[in-house]
Amino acid sequence: MIKRILDFVLILLFVWACMILGLWLINEIVVPLEIPWIKNHIVIAIIKLVMSSGLALLWLWLWREIIKRMFWHTLKAHKTLGKAEKQEER
Amino acid sequence: MIGEFVTLVVGFITSILSMPLVMKFMKKKGIVGIDMHKKNKPAIPEMGGVAVIIGIAASVVVASILTSEKIRLLLSFLASTLIAGIVGAADDLKPLSARIKPFLTLFSGMPILMLCTYDPRGPIFPIIGRTRLTIVYPLLIIVALAVTSNAVNMLDPFNGTMSGSCTVITITLLISSLILGRNDGVLLSLCMLGPLLVLYLFNRYPAKVFSGDVGSLSIGAALGAISILGHLEMVAIIAFAPQIMNAFYGLSTIGRLYERREAARPVVLLNDGRLMATSDPKAPLTLARVILAHGPLYEYEVARIIVILSIISGILAIFTAYLIKVTV
Repeated sequence: MIKRILDFVLILLFVWACMILGLWLINEIVVPLEIPWIKNHIVIAIIKLVMSSGLALLWLWLWREIIKRMFWHTLKAHKTLGKAEKQEER
Repeated sequence: MIGEFVTLVVGFITSILSMPLVMKFMKKKGIVGIDMHKKNKPAIPEMGGVAVIIGIAASVVVASILTSEKIRLLLSFLASTLIAGIVGAADDLKPLSARIKPFLTLFSGMPILMLCTYDPRGPIFPIIGRTRLTIVYPLLIIVALAVTSNAVNMLDPFNGTMSGSCTVITITLLISSLILGRNDGVLLSLCMLGPLLVLYLFNRYPAKVFSGDVGSLSIGAALGAISILGHLEMVAIIAFAPQIMNAFYGLSTIGRLYERREAARPVVLLNDGRLMATSDPKAPLTLARVILAHGPLYEYEVARIIVILSIISGILAIFTAYLIKVTV
């Protein structure tokens, strides 16, 4: 039972740390960003929005990939799977 | 502080008195659900969430008498809960489609906007501090309540998982409110805590009652409302991690909004009464399925793991509240 909980705790900590890091990146790098060759404020705001959204999507993608890989890897590693499936109630 | 404690006691007593009546009524009317994860497939009374709503309503009435200056805040909280509860009741009586239900829950955030009980300056993040999301924030409120209510609804597969994890979230919001000095958060969390404890007592393994969508959607919306009204947005996101994980994994594998009844079952019941994760690639990757990937477990064991995960994310959320306090 501890192994099952530990897997999720590690994912939870990773997701939490990534969120805090992402917020820090947005606050320190994306928000104060100045592009000298672009004068239009709206274009700069859109670029900042796209960058922030990209970071958020990357965070979600990483989260999903970790879980997907962890699930299928664990399931395959579980040798009694085939045996147990035969007991499955129809 | 005595006033807040009275609301907690009133909510608890009202719910514990009304729950047996609700169960009796549902059984009499034939509103029962089959407990799919038991070998003998018992019929359990549904819509126990009605007793939770009655308890919340009673504690809100008492709170509004004791703290009359907070009547708008309490009214918006109760209205949000009731709207989600009505959507849930409609779904319990006549199942709604996978798209209609989330759409209707969007309306549960409207009372907060209409009564202007939110902080228009936007949320406060740890490390960053206060943000200036003045234009987007009202839109986020509407989405937030729909997300919390549906995420709670999706993490209700086993006896005691929804009620147990939501009780943990409420306690987390209560402690975070105390750390951050958010009196509104303390009051609303206490209004919520009593009825939730009663639901957990009746819904834990082996369940005597199911909360139904009326319970899960209203509880989710109420918790979302506490996060907004108590200004605990970031704390709530962390506290809701198991629910968000469950909903996100499920939605990302199916690729669209889905109802449990229309998707392949992620978990199957073995002859010995244990539950096992399926290897069906079309089944949604739910939290329970990922937990069961290590091997079969009994229902109460999976439910216990989900509640433990809620406690761990609650501890992380309280730490986030501390970070916010340090930042501000």
